[in-house]
Amino acid sequence: MATIRGESGRVEFETGSGTLGQVVGTRSWSLSITKETLDTTVHGDTFRQFVGSLVSGSGTVELVYDPDATGQAAFVEDVIKAGDTADASFELFTTGDTNGTDSVSFGGIITDMEITSTVGELVVATCNFITSSTITSNLE
Amino acid sequence: MAAADLNSVRATIEGRLATELANSPAIPVVFHNMAYEPTPGSSWVQCLTTFGASEYLGQGLTTNSQNRIVGLVVMNIFSGKGVGPGANLVIGKRIRDLYNRVIVSGVFFDAPTGPEALASPSPEGYFQTQVRVTFEFIEEL
Repeated sequence: MATIRGESGRVEFETGSGTLGQVVGTRSWSLSITKETLDTTVHGDTFRQFVGSLVSGSGTVELVYDPDATGQAAFVEDVIKAGDTADASFELFTTGDTNGTDSVSFGGIITDMEITSTVGELVVATCNFITSSTITSNLE
Repeated sequence: MAAADLNSVRATIEGRLATELANSPAIPVVFHNMAYEPTPGSSWVQCLTTFGASEYLGQGLTTNSQNRIVGLVVMNIFSGKGVGPGANLVIGKRIRDLYNRVIVSGVFFDAPTGPEALASPSPEGYFQTQVRVTFEFIEEL
């Protein structure tokens, strides 16, 4: 059994016009994938039945803010892109840095960004995103 | 990026104090692992820099990752016994002002504690107060 700790994680991002690159200074990421269900219960059934339907995802990336850290500016500012066509790409790694391995990748939109500055604490930026189109899982 | 150079951080902290206390009126200052024989009744300062815990700050293993390292500077201020606290607190103010919420070479100093009078001076024969300042810096790997 090979357990993994969060410090092995990594986030890669591109805003729609380049190639995936690491966002330096990420402190955490989370991804929640949801599958909708359709009720296919018919007359005569005694137990409700479902089939799977549309799949979507959403999540959060938390950054220790550093204006000079590679990839951060493009990431936190993607939220203000007008007319966003969901052309950004994400790859969230549980460990390692080999694209397509131990990661989940998808296109998406950063839907909100919150940056917090508190006396005596590090400035932290939190970005929430939703997926758009295919989610490719390489978590095996 | 590279692992933090703790000796460089120590030099930053101690150098700041040494420079200040070399100004008039000059006050002798002694650091960790230095022999010093104080003149009885004189004022002098002992500065002890200690590094404490590190914690993960950012993701990534040994490249493009960050740790937060915290530390403590304890400055013992000694002055003549039986003549009141004034001279001691004048030195304490110089030291406190030196670190109060200052950022130097990437080292963040917090608001200082003290000068606090100590009931049992060490060494004996002096009036002793203590200023303590916690600090932190970011190690970028």
